[in-house]
Amino acid sequence: MVDILALAVSHGLLALAAWRLLLRPDLDVETPGEGAVPEPRPLKRNGPVRREMRWPGKDGDDA
Amino acid sequence: MLDLALTGFVACFLLIGFRRPFLWVLCYLYVDIVSPQIISWGILSHLPISLMAFAAAFLGWLALDDKRDSRFTLRQGILAALLLYCGYTTWAAVYPAAAAEKWAWVWKALVFAIFLPFTLRTRLRIEAVALVMVLAASALIIDGGLKTAGGGGGYGTLRIFVENNTGLYEGSILSAVAISIIPIVLWLVKYGTVFPADWRVYLFAGALIFACSLIPVGTQARTGLVCLGVLCLFYLRTAKHKVLIAGGMALAVVVAVPFLPQAFLARMGTIENHEADQSASTRLGVWKWTWGYVKEHPLGGGFVVNQSSRVEYDTVAKVTVDGSTEIRRAHVVEEGRAFHSSYFEMLGEQGFPGFGLWILLQLTGLIQMEQIRRRWKKRTGPDEAWVAPLAVALQLAQVVYLIGSLFVGIAFQPFILMLIGLQCGLWSYLKRIDVRQAQVPIRTIRPVVGMV
Repeated sequence: MVDILALAVSHGLLALAAWRLLLRPDLDVETPGEGAVPEPRPLKRNGPVRREMRWPGKDGDDA
Repeated sequence: MLDLALTGFVACFLLIGFRRPFLWVLCYLYVDIVSPQIISWGILSHLPISLMAFAAAFLGWLALDDKRDSRFTLRQGILAALLLYCGYTTWAAVYPAAAAEKWAWVWKALVFAIFLPFTLRTRLRIEAVALVMVLAASALIIDGGLKTAGGGGGYGTLRIFVENNTGLYEGSILSAVAISIIPIVLWLVKYGTVFPADWRVYLFAGALIFACSLIPVGTQARTGLVCLGVLCLFYLRTAKHKVLIAGGMALAVVVAVPFLPQAFLARMGTIENHEADQSASTRLGVWKWTWGYVKEHPLGGGFVVNQSSRVEYDTVAKVTVDGSTEIRRAHVVEEGRAFHSSYFEMLGEQGFPGFGLWILLQLTGLIQMEQIRRRWKKRTGPDEAWVAPLAVALQLAQVVYLIGSLFVGIAFQPFILMLIGLQCGLWSYLKRIDVRQAQVPIRTIRPVVGMV
């Protein structure tokens, strides 16, 4: 009975570990520097800024 | 039913390897540690599953795995040199037939230790190997721990699954291995990602560590007790709350002693009073014989050369009867006894060259793990914090093994060679990501500068 319990617990956990590993993409491929150096976030702006020059009739709204 | 379940488990393990070939490496680790073919009496006992798992692991890596990151490290070179030298001593062995029997499993264990680091390309693979080694060993440890807690056990009588005395099923070897994995269990609890820390993980790990500590009690192997003491001492070296942990350890000893069986306490008493103990006297005798042998045969006598050993000694015991103390002396002659020490096993079997290679292998492991610890201990980022503690855990496991090796002949124990393979894999992996991390900031800082 003790033998069965020891085998069941250890093999159950081994099976669960194998299943979880099967579903993890980072088992085979690890992106370089993953998480070690976080990517910098782009600076936030308060609102959109339009920088291009606008000519009347170019936008097609008076066509 | 048990036979069917074990066969099904191994078959499923091999089948899922077709999806992820690295799982075959884990399958080999499991088969080599648990040896289900020993427990089973049906199909498994008739199949060469160890060979099948190794072939699958090797061919899977050769045909399907990415090998760009694979590097041949210095310690793999030492392992290869040791393999070649053992091949030579087997060829020139004093007992060729018996030496060939031991060579049959030693070369496999050495080849796998050389091969394992090639497959450890990602952090998850390193963790997976540590996890599978611990869980596979836990099958034997939980069984032994439960039987000890239930009042079973005794020197050479703790029966784990079956009547067997090979590999990890031998009491002294299991107690050394059980104590050596405790630091790895603690690392897995804190940094594991396959089973992230929660109450179930804490519960299982706590129970497993308790079972590990019970193995020296159940097997009454003095080696295990010495290993446990050494582990506690070395654990304090890198622990953060030294006084608290030392106090907890002292309390645990005070609480545990009254519950220990009388036979265990009596046997542990012979560590101090070894003159009256035949087993301890045999060791000293065999070690003396080995030293004499290797001085005459510096290249070693090949595997199981201890069969030619002859040991003579006197045991001295003080017996007090009715207030008067009597000294009893007995003359003992023994032949063909085991080395009872990995150091003398290497000296006798492989001579000075083999011993030198083996010691170099162990020392470079300790040094490399220390270097990793020092280099990485200040890196506390979410994906870096795991490194230094793993190096400490692997170093502690090796220290425990080296202390246990003083009293047990486990120089080529496959489990320990796997640990060495894991150390090599970690070393090689960190070398690679160190180079990558040196390159990454250059790429990532540039856009920030551009925006300012």
